[in-house]
Amino acid sequence: MLRKSLCNLSRFGQLPGLSRRLQSTQPEQSAETEPEDIAVIEQRILKHPDYFQVHNLFTVRDLFNARVHYGHKEGSLDDRMRPYLFGSRLGHLIFDLDKTASHLRDALNFAAHIAFRDGIIVFFNRNALNAHLVEQKAQEAGEFSHTRFWRGGIFTNANVQFDAVTRLPDLCIFLNTQNNVMAQHTAVRDAAKMAIPTIGIVDSNCNPNLITYPVPGNDDTPAAVELYCNLFKEAILRGKRERRQLLGLPPLDESQPRRSRKPKK
Amino acid sequence: MAVRVFGVNLIKTNRNLLQNACKTPATTFGHTAVAQLATEVTVQASPAAVQKQKVSKAMRAYLKRANEHDEFMKTQHLEFQIGKRHLANMMGADAETFTQEDINEAISYLFPSGLYDPKARPAMKSPEEVFPARKAAEFDETGRPFHSMFYTGKPNFFQLLHDIVEETRKLADLEERMLRRGNKPDENQKLEMSGFQLLPKDQLELVLVESIADIEYSNFTNSMDRLIASPYAYKSKAFIERFLKPLLDQSKQLEVPKPKIDEQGRQFITTYECLRKTARADVTIRLPGTGKISINGKDISYFEDENCREQLLFPLQFSEMLGKVDVEANVEGGGPSGQAGAIRWGIAMSLRSFVDQEMIESMRLAGLLTRDYRRRERKKFGQEGARRKYTWKKR
Repeated sequence: MLRKSLCNLSRFGQLPGLSRRLQSTQPEQSAETEPEDIAVIEQRILKHPDYFQVHNLFTVRDLFNARVHYGHKEGSLDDRMRPYLFGSRLGHLIFDLDKTASHLRDALNFAAHIAFRDGIIVFFNRNALNAHLVEQKAQEAGEFSHTRFWRGGIFTNANVQFDAVTRLPDLCIFLNTQNNVMAQHTAVRDAAKMAIPTIGIVDSNCNPNLITYPVPGNDDTPAAVELYCNLFKEAILRGKRERRQLLGLPPLDESQPRRSRKPKK
Repeated sequence: MAVRVFGVNLIKTNRNLLQNACKTPATTFGHTAVAQLATEVTVQASPAAVQKQKVSKAMRAYLKRANEHDEFMKTQHLEFQIGKRHLANMMGADAETFTQEDINEAISYLFPSGLYDPKARPAMKSPEEVFPARKAAEFDETGRPFHSMFYTGKPNFFQLLHDIVEETRKLADLEERMLRRGNKPDENQKLEMSGFQLLPKDQLELVLVESIADIEYSNFTNSMDRLIASPYAYKSKAFIERFLKPLLDQSKQLEVPKPKIDEQGRQFITTYECLRKTARADVTIRLPGTGKISINGKDISYFEDENCREQLLFPLQFSEMLGKVDVEANVEGGGPSGQAGAIRWGIAMSLRSFVDQEMIESMRLAGLLTRDYRRRERKKFGQEGARRKYTWKKR
């Protein structure tokens, strides 16, 4: 539903007659005006098709170079992924990178908006090869990661799992949506149950149905995963920077990844 | 006040300097004042938006719980103080100087208990000891957790695994670079791992303040082993040593007494308080000797049982001192096997003064220097003895 509303909103942005301020790519700042409530700004910038300029984060060639177009073997194809395919070569499926790019831009835009609204974003990944990378990038973005065994009920029974009332994430980003080749990550289902929007890199053997923003692409190759991580990190940081700038807070210190803001007792 | 004026002037005159002052962490007092003022002023001048302060449901729930806990602890503390005062009055002591030891003594005197398990006996301790400390809030007032891996449920443990991988990769990079340059790791600096072991699971749990599963602990040991196996592991010595524990060489820990000289010019050593079951013995060993054994004035025939005699001779035979030393023992209490065990332990402990370090270590490994704490097991009701059941035939 969220996805639908945002699509509508992006179309709104293209309508004529909207103020120049909304159409301009760079947010205008005038020191003389009265400070507004940030909630009003949050609503307004939603109408912009690409407020955080995520379209310039990558090109289709970048995707190609990072080997995003490689799918799995033909036999493992999930029928629901058929629309995103370009074809098959030597028995391996190839993604249509133009479609991937547009899906990825939607996803990045959404992530930036969530970050702008001070949302909690969790990176998921069950591939041990890429786990360290994902954790590191999540820390650099000042966000959260879960790359380990998923204990059931972290979302659906959170208050018991954490022994306290706990704020759940506002966005889950799945760098792969599978636990192994056979089974889907349980968090995909649980996030859907709890109405938490999700972004997921779906390979040719995955089911995109429960993912709010599916991005068809290779989810195994470290080069591809690194590209996704960098893109999402940058989009999130853009959202955060914008918010801090509007609120007049000092800029984020991005030189050192922050693992925790307060030392734990 | 002077600092304040200075800060305001600075704001008016030089904006750039001000922004730098905001970014860099302030160290001196003057700087701090400027930085504080600066943020105030910039907030007033430039922001295009303001945010309504929201407190999340999570934080509200936490604050409520924390308040309740504080209240509870306060009443518990009060009750403890009153109880202490009552006990002190009953014992005729000064309530102000009544210590925890006095409390324990008073309770065991006023409420004598025959219960077997000490935990089941009445006790009074301060509430801090009785109720374990609770974790502080793990999230800020908007409900955003502090730790990047909060949602795993074991953030400290998984952060540790992450750090180990980080270190391992650093060392692998270094190895690669050194290999290209043709350098070899320094053999002299090699990490000495003998005499050390990785923290056992329970201690690691204490360090992390999290309980971890067996499989997670084995993940930890595997990744630590991989880190330690690197030829450049000495570069991460400080990190590795945080999770090492020295292995205790127990025979080194116990100090071996030096033998004294008696009137006949012979070396001798006496071990007092050799205990086994309810027997108690003092054992004296003299060197050089002829293998004479005297127990309460009698020779080895003091023990009628062959098993007990063997017990007695075993440490002498094990250390190959049979026939080279004289043994004198005074023993009381207990039965034959307890007495024999007490003397055996005494002989072994005394012999340490007359053998080399290697033999002491092998005696320790053979269990000769270990006190045997086993006691008689009580008879149970409904049973004939400690374990034996009454004979019972269905019909």
